Amino acid sequence: MADTINLTTTTTSSTLEPVFSFLAQALTTLETTFYKLPGSAVIQRYVKSSHQNDPGRTILELILVVFAIRTLLQSRTRADRTGSHFIQFNKKEIDELVDEWAPEPLGAPLTPSEQYDLHALPIVAGQNGVKPKLVSTGKTAVNLASLNFAGLAGNEYIKERAVETLRKYGLGSCGPPGFYGTLDVHMDLERDIADFLGTEASILYSQGFSTVSSVIPAFCKRGDIIVADRGVNFAIQKGIQISRSTVRWYDHNDLESLEAVLQSIEKDRKKRRGPLTRRFIITEGIFERDGAMVDLPKIIELKYKYKYRLLLDESYSFGAVGRTGRGLTEIYNVPASKVDMLIGSCAIGLCAGGGFCAGSNIVVDHQRINGPSFVFSAAMPALLAVSASEGINIFRSTPSIFETLQENVRAARAILDKVEYLTIPSHPASPLIHIQIKPAYSPAASTSNALSSPSSSSSVGTPAPLSPPPSTAGSLHPVSAAMLTPTKHTRDHHEKLLLHPEVIEAEERLLQEIVDECLSQNVMVTKAKRLRGQENVEARPGLKLAISAGLTRKEIEKAVGVVKAVCVKVLGRRK
Amino acid sequence: MALTKPSTPSIFKKKSTTSLSPMASAASYLSALSQADARAREQMNGSPTSTPALSISSSVTSSSEDTVLHEEDDNRDGLALPARPPTSEQVFTTVHTEFGHCANEKFRMTSQHTRGEPVPGHVDQDPPYYILLSTYISYLILIVLGHIRDFLGKRFRASSYHHLMPRDGYAPLNSDFDSFYTRRLKTRMDECFSQPVTGVAGRTIVLLDRMSPDYNHTQLFTGTRTRALNISSYNYLGFAQARGGCADAVEESIKRYGVSTCGSRLEGGSSDLHTISEALVAKFVGMEDALISSMGFATNSTFIPALVGKGCLVISDELNHASIRFGVRISGASVRMFKHNDMKALESLLREVISQGQPKTHRPWKKILVIVEGLYSMEGTLVNLPAIIELKKKYKFYLFVDEAHSVGAMGPHGRGVADYFGINPRKIDVLMGTFTKSFGAAGGYIAGSKTLIDRLRVHGHSGPYAEAMTPPVLIQVVASMASIMGVKPPQPHASSGGLRLTHAPPPVEEEYHHPGPAPHSALPLWLALPQELSLGTEGATRLRRLAFNSRYLHNGLIKLGFITYGHPASPIVPLLLFNPGKMCMFHRMMKDRQTPIIVVVVAYPATPLVTSRVRFCVSAAHTKEDIDTILQACDEVGDVLDLKHGIPRSERWTIDEISSRAVELAGMMK
Ligand SMILES: Cc1ncc(COP(=O)(O)O)c(C=O)c1O
Repeated sequence: MADTINLTTTTTSSTLEPVFSFLAQALTTLETTFYKLPGSAVIQRYVKSSHQNDPGRTILELILVVFAIRTLLQSRTRADRTGSHFIQFNKKEIDELVDEWAPEPLGAPLTPSEQYDLHALPIVAGQNGVKPKLVSTGKTAVNLASLNFAGLAGNEYIKERAVETLRKYGLGSCGPPGFYGTLDVHMDLERDIADFLGTEASILYSQGFSTVSSVIPAFCKRGDIIVADRGVNFAIQKGIQISRSTVRWYDHNDLESLEAVLQSIEKDRKKRRGPLTRRFIITEGIFERDGAMVDLPKIIELKYKYKYRLLLDESYSFGAVGRTGRGLTEIYNVPASKVDMLIGSCAIGLCAGGGFCAGSNIVVDHQRINGPSFVFSAAMPALLAVSASEGINIFRSTPSIFETLQENVRAARAILDKVEYLTIPSHPASPLIHIQIKPAYSPAASTSNALSSPSSSSSVGTPAPLSPPPSTAGSLHPVSAAMLTPTKHTRDHHEKLLLHPEVIEAEERLLQEIVDECLSQNVMVTKAKRLRGQENVEARPGLKLAISAGLTRKEIEKAVGVVKAVCVKVLGRRK
Repeated sequence: MALTKPSTPSIFKKKSTTSLSPMASAASYLSALSQADARAREQMNGSPTSTPALSISSSVTSSSEDTVLHEEDDNRDGLALPARPPTSEQVFTTVHTEFGHCANEKFRMTSQHTRGEPVPGHVDQDPPYYILLSTYISYLILIVLGHIRDFLGKRFRASSYHHLMPRDGYAPLNSDFDSFYTRRLKTRMDECFSQPVTGVAGRTIVLLDRMSPDYNHTQLFTGTRTRALNISSYNYLGFAQARGGCADAVEESIKRYGVSTCGSRLEGGSSDLHTISEALVAKFVGMEDALISSMGFATNSTFIPALVGKGCLVISDELNHASIRFGVRISGASVRMFKHNDMKALESLLREVISQGQPKTHRPWKKILVIVEGLYSMEGTLVNLPAIIELKKKYKFYLFVDEAHSVGAMGPHGRGVADYFGINPRKIDVLMGTFTKSFGAAGGYIAGSKTLIDRLRVHGHSGPYAEAMTPPVLIQVVASMASIMGVKPPQPHASSGGLRLTHAPPPVEEEYHHPGPAPHSALPLWLALPQELSLGTEGATRLRRLAFNSRYLHNGLIKLGFITYGHPASPIVPLLLFNPGKMCMFHRMMKDRQTPIIVVVVAYPATPLVTSRVRFCVSAAHTKEDIDTILQACDEVGDVLDLKHGIPRSERWTIDEISSRAVELAGMMK
């Protein structure tokens, strides 16, 4: 069907002439019959007057019709042969080219160190939780790696409820939410989340990681403006990439830089007098990349001042901080309704599965039709939804969990903050604690001479520099930021050095040594795993500790003590 | 197409009460009684005659504790109890509402490609012109009316347009232009979408009835429930069950492992279950290694970028799933599309892109990855795998097959399209699939060579960042897969009968030899599957029931005179409606029958504008009587809605003829 029409469009326009004359004739007959209809005069007058009031609208409608017809007729498979770069080959030449062509391998093998890291991964035998048994050692270890902030993993009551749900619903939902995949338990969980946070509604996605990368393209389209923190997590980066919106980055967790960007956009807009576009600020509550926490009230103030919408990813703060685990809005006592799209993870915060986006009814309903991974993916298993609901119930009934958690975090920080060799970019209240090697003790310090020769430093393409952590906030200042906040050349150079691939590799090896050594002392920790070369801004290597409320203070102190001792041993040896 | 051998073991087993879940005492008593009765008769005259049992049913159907949803046990809708009461020697282990009782061994087939037979491409059958014309006019009216309503509404009922207009310096989240289709077309038939349900998405499903007082702007629950025949869920093999061996295994896994592994695979969320299930999945699909991801969509969207990048080209079927497009777009590779399942178009595109090289620079492409689906979810077309494999030899591209809908559902052993065509899966570079469909679980896998999979583990986006798959889901996958494969008992020498194949020969170039049952060691040690699962008999029956049901429904619809799309062996059977107004009507008329049937209707943008359709997803859980019910309903509704534009009236069969010649019909080629 479409093909035949496509054919006619590609032939010369002369064949279309009779069609045009026919069309004109048809139009006139249509017009006369239209006038014969009773009441047509009213419509005619109406159209005329509306045309007078708003001629642009008529044109718009016309364009719309033309556009609709065009999309109808356009075949999606049409080859791009018309481009000026097309070279004509004959059959034999093509055959030769086909024979000559040799593709690269689909996947290059891992490097030895990647392979080593993959094999060194701790694998839990049986139930994961605060003290899992490991396959490699056969012993139980204290778990500072798995995300189990509130200690819900292995909760007997949740397990019981999960079994009950299994016996009512089976396991899989066997369909996307639009087509008989929406279960009552999904709606219950959506309501529970919205009530818990204090928003109008919420929507469930079947994977935490895919939530934000689906929410962003549901709202942000080509031409919209996104102002985002340079240090946002990978899922947000991908969401921004796929949205095709115009992105402006501001320095990691630096709200002055944010305001500067907002101002410059405002100036641009005034100058250009373009149409009003949707504008979004996208940031995280607790940053996955370093555990820093955003100053929510300040961001909200800026968002209202410059009329932006705020998308806040609370994947690592929901169920982790706040008096009852509601996340940043609770810490700062900001109504959650002021955050336009609040994203959280039921997999991380509630030890179940999936993610959610909470917001107004309009925001939520829009995603039910436009969120790619909501529309095109099966709904989450019923028993995970019920487990998540039970998690929220536990938060409501036993807020003491979060007191315990904060105590544990404080205990851990009290030990770690004192270690000479380490920097900790994480917020003091964050149960996600990143540990990095202090620049002075980094292999960069010793290799600096070797690497600072002009030839090698100029070859550093991808990695962006990192500012030495200022007393409190963020830790990354990418290259282009230099224009906004001029940094001294020497410092710049030093930062670049820390993110030199060789330095990163050397630090990774040291950290892996720490991980292995901790494991042999039955403390499970993990490096912050990264997709080097694929991230927006390279992060410094580090360890990622996840503190749980399920451990007692004593246990935390003991386990973190082990980490400290190992760090001192491994890093101190180098001096 | 091989017709059924009546000797194949089936899903119901004879005389074994050991693994029956605890039943309501009356039911178990009755079934025990009927068994005793049968045994006695067997001894008397040697040949058991099939007499109806004493009770309404000797099966688990009558145990009311089985599902929450059995308030209405009166069977007025004909769904709760089998049409034909089971005979005395039949003991079914499934709940009839979840997995229908069907003992007739004639209603079984094998899903297999006959070598040498051409693979049907995708044929669009056009309806009469007046249908096309009225379809276009319908859309025109809808669009014009919609615009008039918008135009007037904005002036007279501005408050309901607030969220579509710029306000206080904020651009609307959703401009009226972008949302026009949703507001003015989709809202009109919202009753067909997002219907909330409860209970198991098995053979039947329970709807939470709703109504809208304000033209679908809000939906209110009436508080009542309706059980309906479910021909909509992706439950191909019928593993959506709250009872039975798989569910028992899942329960055990929750007790042993909890519901989460707390973290991503690379950061403290790996469990021994992941290792076990990945090995089993690799074995199942016949690849060297596999990895599992907690969401099917994310399997594509996070691993395709690890396969290709800048300087690479992806050649994608035009009807590929949104998750594939998402992944390809993120990867930064160039994309070209070819006409759906058209191998000529693919070849000419390949010749063009290889000879032209990268745009502007004309440098050769680093890699070319052809991405196709095994079975297309809206069309029911089966990929022409033999032809693609031929092309692959010549053009040296890499091949990625998304088997979301075909794994489990196609092939004599349920291993997907490669199995269906008898092609060695190792000839495909990357096999991807999901567990949401045939296995009644969630998530997806990607399988390939060990080097490749290891690379994806480390460089795919999911590894470090996405949550790992949870233990209950893993065990559902393991148990359902193992029950399809069958499990070799621990002692290999104690074999009996021909069921157990010994070690398969190493993969041969052309012919594909099925590797046989999984070794016992491939399952978790604690997992004790009931015998009918570990022998693989139940799995085999499921595959054969699905194959029969698919062909029967497909050919039945054609014989009734409908226009359908897709491969006759496909469990996805689209029935063309064309007119948008008919979608809602079809949906409602099917739902309001005495035996309510729920269907999925799809329209633009999921399909081309004119070819609105209803999509049936056949399941092994359906009985032949269920398919009859559906055909009967379609027959009646089709007459009312003027849908029969396929074959001419003289070639059509009556519904009774179809029902009585079902086996013959299912065996017919299109
Ligand atoms: C071809 C294809 N790929 C991937 C998916 C996504 O799978 P899931 O629903 O498990 O996320 C689907 C599901 O609809 C599909 O049809």
